[in-house]
Amino acid sequence: MPGDWHLLGPLEWTRYVNKEVKVTAGKDVERCGWLLTVDPVSASLVLLDFKADGQTSVDLVMGHAVKEVQVLQEPDEKTLNRLQTSFVPVRSCSLDS
Amino acid sequence: GSGRSTTAAPVERPGERRVAEMKKLYGDDSAKILAIETAMQLTFDRNCCRKQPKYWPVIPLKL
Amino acid sequence: SISTSAASELDPEELQKEQHARSVLREKFLRCLFAMTNKQVYFNLHEKVKVEATFGASDIDVLNFQVSDLHTPIGVQKEALIRSRDVISCHFDV
Repeated sequence: MPGDWHLLGPLEWTRYVNKEVKVTAGKDVERCGWLLTVDPVSASLVLLDFKADGQTSVDLVMGHAVKEVQVLQEPDEKTLNRLQTSFVPVRSCSLDS
Repeated sequence: GSGRSTTAAPVERPGERRVAEMKKLYGDDSAKILAIETAMQLTFDRNCCRKQPKYWPVIPLKL
Repeated sequence: SISTSAASELDPEELQKEQHARSVLREKFLRCLFAMTNKQVYFNLHEKVKVEATFGASDIDVLNFQVSDLHTPIGVQKEALIRSRDVISCHFDV
């Protein structure tokens, strides 16, 4: 990961979005999940884990505590679809890329 | 009265600076982001006013 | 609270791209915070402190979380504010 996480800009954060990442934070916290988004204000990450029972487990890692973000893998089509529909209100128009 | 009003900067309308700042950061989507943020801050302020929460822990763990 | 120094060096097309990327990221984040309302949230704080509470709201600068029924190691606090600087991560299910 190049440089400090919270100093990366929106375009660089976007490159991590929708990928499965491993985040190291604080002294000994590790969280894995599909990266839904990065808050451009606080650099905090939202990680999703889709459970078999249909529930979604959400981890929010605060930007100030982030030590390292590693990409583990790219999403498959099904995961990408779930990521793109999580927390999104129903809209009449299609989403642009 | 305001004796120095002739040299004072023109009065900025409240929220004007914020709108300009948002426009710079979010471009064409700034109005939408501002609307969501305003709703969220309103909820936060209202809850704090009603519930009067106290900081926990009292002393910050990390400065 | 966001650095715009980089943005000012960009050409208009790049700037627009960056603004769009920032909007998409921010909107998804704000919607996620809204989704936390009234959820049981587990907070992982510095110094290995773990607490749980019912999430109320966050301020837009993400500096404070307003929560209710905060279960602390020494008892329950009915209404509380948690500083985001004290938090490493938090967890909830939807």
